[in-house]
Amino acid sequence: MDDPKEKESAYSILIMKRTVILTGFILMVVLQWFIPGRMIFFKERVLSEGTEYRFRTEPFDPYDAFRGKYIHLAFNQATVQLKDSANWNQGEMIFALLSTDSSGYAMVTELRKEEPEEDVDYLKVISGYVYEDSTSTSVSISYPFDRFYMEESKAQAADDAYHQALSDTSKVTYALVLVHRGEGIVKEVYIDGVPIKKIAIERQKLEEEVQ
Amino acid sequence: MKLSKNLAELVEAGVIDQGTAERISAYYAAKTTTPQSKLVIVFGILGALLVSLGIILILAHNWDDLTRTTKTVIAFIPLLIGQGICGYSLWKRSDSTAWREASAVFLVFAIGACISLISQIYNIPGTITSFLFTWLILALPIVYVMNSSSASILYIIGITYYACDLGYWGSYQVESYIYWGLLLLILPHYYYLYTKRSESNFFTFHNWFIPLSIIITLGTLARDAGEFMFVSYMSLFGLLYLIGGTRVLADLKIRNNGYLVLGSLGTVVLLLVLGFDWFWSDMRDVDRTENLYNTPEFIIAIVLTVAALALLIYQKLKQTPFMLRPAEWVFLVFFGLFILGMNSPFVVIWINILTLIVAVLTIREGAVRNNLGILNYGLLIITGLIICRFFDVNIGFVMKGLLFVLVGLGFFFANLWMIRKKKKVLTPS
Repeated sequence: MDDPKEKESAYSILIMKRTVILTGFILMVVLQWFIPGRMIFFKERVLSEGTEYRFRTEPFDPYDAFRGKYIHLAFNQATVQLKDSANWNQGEMIFALLSTDSSGYAMVTELRKEEPEEDVDYLKVISGYVYEDSTSTSVSISYPFDRFYMEESKAQAADDAYHQALSDTSKVTYALVLVHRGEGIVKEVYIDGVPIKKIAIERQKLEEEVQ
Repeated sequence: MKLSKNLAELVEAGVIDQGTAERISAYYAAKTTTPQSKLVIVFGILGALLVSLGIILILAHNWDDLTRTTKTVIAFIPLLIGQGICGYSLWKRSDSTAWREASAVFLVFAIGACISLISQIYNIPGTITSFLFTWLILALPIVYVMNSSSASILYIIGITYYACDLGYWGSYQVESYIYWGLLLLILPHYYYLYTKRSESNFFTFHNWFIPLSIIITLGTLARDAGEFMFVSYMSLFGLLYLIGGTRVLADLKIRNNGYLVLGSLGTVVLLLVLGFDWFWSDMRDVDRTENLYNTPEFIIAIVLTVAALALLIYQKLKQTPFMLRPAEWVFLVFFGLFILGMNSPFVVIWINILTLIVAVLTIREGAVRNNLGILNYGLLIITGLIICRFFDVNIGFVMKGLLFVLVGLGFFFANLWMIRKKKKVLTPS
């Protein structure tokens, strides 16, 4: 190591090693910000540019250890009746064209295998069970949004309110969804026009008063 | 200190000179630092694991009163801290394994916390599968940038869970071929451990986690021709066993050699299970319309068998003198027996004979290598075989009892003989 040339080459190797590590570190940090950032960017675009639809729902609530408490949304229109039988397969990504019914709720009118190019609202859905008979085909679909996150403390009260609304057929439950280029984000869940978060807070207050 | 006392005594008695005594105490002084730093590494990793899991749980509460922007900023704070600590340990503490490993573990979980919170904020649905995939892809660079083996182990656990979620538990079971690609991405780090740090505990952990992960995941490839998975698994166990016998791994203690242990155990368990007639009679009864030899399962079985065979031939060509270890050829015989078994009812007898041969060879190896563990393992295989046969063979209690007495005596005398032999070696006079 006394040789100055050897010393110099050892030093340059050290510098090179550091540069490689620094580049790797910067690339890693950029990737770790870019991917979540991209997720946020696309979701924000849906929120700002999307069209509002009201989807009729049926409820229940599992517990997801990774993502806290949420309400699982089961939609009224779980299957789509079609006149043609265009060889629908299970587990494929297909495109559901949206429209509204006479009372203003969202409904899927058509299923396509290719992404619509014209200016219509549609959702990317996954095809499920396919049933065919001589006159028609029905395809069950799973929507690209099926959960609504609640604060842990409110989730139970919200779920109770939800189940009560379900047994009470006069009450209408629906999810307000923003739809943009095949993507949808649940903005709020309503029971008879009142946001579920508000109902949950009121129920909590009521329970506290009773105690 | 006890050592210095002993050394002083030895110097006084003239057994060693002063210089040797100094060298001995210097050697032990240098050695005692190792267990301490190991403890620091273990607690560093554990601490990072607990803190980051705690943060995930706190974020999972999903605070309603905060605005979307505040929540988004909060999501990135653990990530920022994690990257900061990683940067600090790379530049200021690059020689400390504890700092590197602990900060890497923290960053792995900080990524999980970040994307999970974003999922909450935007009510992003979906299975745990897509969430896990993003997490794994973002965590992989940590293994290489931080040169972190604990991040690598977390990654291996993650991809295994991912493959199971896709292949075993998913609503639309799909073949988890992506898993194999993800596994390939971690192999450079494993190779680094193999060449540079084959003495380290992290290498040992990888020697267990990687084969275990493959064993768990191979089954996700099964679809319509599941029977062939038995051939695939047998060849996989053979392959693992052979890998366990390669140069660097063969020198490891048996408990550090996951390949050898899992390969051998897997082979024996599979042989014991297939020693029952129901499997073979079921296979012959099934009416097969499609061509079995066209299925992906058959191709996987062939690939694994050829790979194991190639490794076997390679090892035997280099080996002098030629010798066969107990379980390394079983997969080859089994492949032939399996093809026969599709039509012939006698194969089940051959499987039982095969199991017996493996047991006897294991006992022999234990005797040759003076290893009580291997010897008793061989005897246990025989015991297992006898117990399995009691389920389907109609023999009287007296006969069953006699067989057990015989095996018990076998255990007793084999161990006694081995202990005597060991004593003889120690005291040659």
